[in-house]
Amino acid sequence: MISATDLRLTFGKGTPLENPALRGMSLTVNQGEFVTVIGSNGAGKSTFLNALSGEVMVDSGQIIVDNQDVTRLPTHKRASRVARVFQDPLAGTCENLSIEENLALAIKRGQRRGLTTAVKSKYLPQFRDSLATLKLGLENRLGDKMGLLSGGQRQAVSLLMASLTPSSILLLDEHTAALDPKTANFVLELTQKIIEEQKLTALMVTHSMKQALEVGSRTVMLHQGQVVFDIAGKDREGLEVKDLLGLFEKQRGLEVDDDSLLLG
Amino acid sequence: MLSEIAFYGALETGLIYGLVAFGIYLSFRVLDFPDLTVDGSFPLGAAVAAVLILEGWNPWVATGFAALAGMAAGAVTAILNVKLNILNLLASILTMIALYSVNLRIMGRPNIALLSEETVLTPWYSLGLEFHQVPVILFLIVVAVSLVLLWRFMKSETGLAMRATGSNARMARAQGIATGGMIILGVALSNGLVGLAGALFAQSQGAADVTMGVGVIVIGLASLIGGEAVLTPSTVMRALLACVIGAIIYRLAIAFALNADVLGLQAQDLNLITAVLVTLAIVLPGVRTNLTNRFSRKKA
Repeated sequence: MISATDLRLTFGKGTPLENPALRGMSLTVNQGEFVTVIGSNGAGKSTFLNALSGEVMVDSGQIIVDNQDVTRLPTHKRASRVARVFQDPLAGTCENLSIEENLALAIKRGQRRGLTTAVKSKYLPQFRDSLATLKLGLENRLGDKMGLLSGGQRQAVSLLMASLTPSSILLLDEHTAALDPKTANFVLELTQKIIEEQKLTALMVTHSMKQALEVGSRTVMLHQGQVVFDIAGKDREGLEVKDLLGLFEKQRGLEVDDDSLLLG
Repeated sequence: MLSEIAFYGALETGLIYGLVAFGIYLSFRVLDFPDLTVDGSFPLGAAVAAVLILEGWNPWVATGFAALAGMAAGAVTAILNVKLNILNLLASILTMIALYSVNLRIMGRPNIALLSEETVLTPWYSLGLEFHQVPVILFLIVVAVSLVLLWRFMKSETGLAMRATGSNARMARAQGIATGGMIILGVALSNGLVGLAGALFAQSQGAADVTMGVGVIVIGLASLIGGEAVLTPSTVMRALLACVIGAIIYRLAIAFALNADVLGLQAQDLNLITAVLVTLAIVLPGVRTNLTNRFSRKKA
């Protein structure tokens, strides 16, 4: 379980560019839930994910992962509990390391690293098996440099890496946004498959309302650094994009002016 | 052409600079940390070894302490960068400048002669080998051992974490790697190798001098880039071999340029030759990539 309580964060405090990104954000994600997060540009989606992973420190509030307060812990000390896939397909892997070396880094996520060989032969069958599930032929290219792979292939491997060791929560930050529609679909289906098979708890930020409703078990909308609505279960079933817009307008009493939310 | 003594002399210094190139590979290539500390840690290693040898210490123990001193210098640079957020290049310049004073303090004077002292080379001269081959053989062993140890390290879990830190720090943090700690460890190791090189250089040249570090960074970079131009560093082993090959080629090229009377070059032209060689080494791989690209495009 992961719970964030009253998170507040302002960028550039005391400067003319002062920007309050999180204004009392609270959200609790239960074990096994797959939550999709939507919101217009500047709603605080990425900042929220960065705060959960430790890339940014909140000014106030509390983040609890599996009964441990991680609010003040840096990224690398949260890594054993928090797995992450970035929006940029190149960000989740090291291009000048081989595929097997990238996987070997991930299999030790959040654990102590010693002086024994990193790519152990006992790992290789596991690496091959999980790569084979991608059906991209990567299981025969373990020694190839990551940089030789396409963006979609790299994002698929990033997903595998994030799910190679158990985590309390998987954070997906618009991880299909930078891919072409066909590849995006492939990565999204893979995401659903992995989350379902391994019964992962996941938080997926998306820019598409359609995707937010089709995927996952719960949808949360952010606006101006706060949760404006949170729907799950029966309320969410059969909901369409226009219903979602209606909900939003009712909640805030304002018009949605961000066209990009309607597209896609 | 090149006399036998000049040839072995070039091999000897080439091997020592191979150690420097290992260090620069670690900082510049693995960690992407432009580190100029080496201009100070090279004479630091020489100073520590010379002073301890004069005090009557075992020369290998003295050399070991020289490497440790180099590591401490590297750690200072990295800590300035990681903990105090000083730009990496500037942090290394600060340490380099400070080391000039530190080295003078350690030696107590600008230079120390070691000609009549027992050094790591002394026992080897009684083995019946040719005089000018002795340092080459000993340093070849030192370089080979360092190469294997470094290679093993780079393949280890910690070494892989270090490579990930330099390649994609954000990803490394997400995998639970303390990137700051990796930078400190890596820059320290890098300067430890350079300190070791300085200690061996002082013992083979018979003196430690406070100014002997000037330009070490450029020579090391020249070796690294030149080696990479000859041997594409597609694996860690190839990258490390490229360091040694580059350093030896660099010293041979210098010796050749100075020995070829037709060119009319003299010792004072050394820095000019170095600059020309580094330029060539940087430009040539680009030319080669262009050619291969054209070639493979035709094939496709």
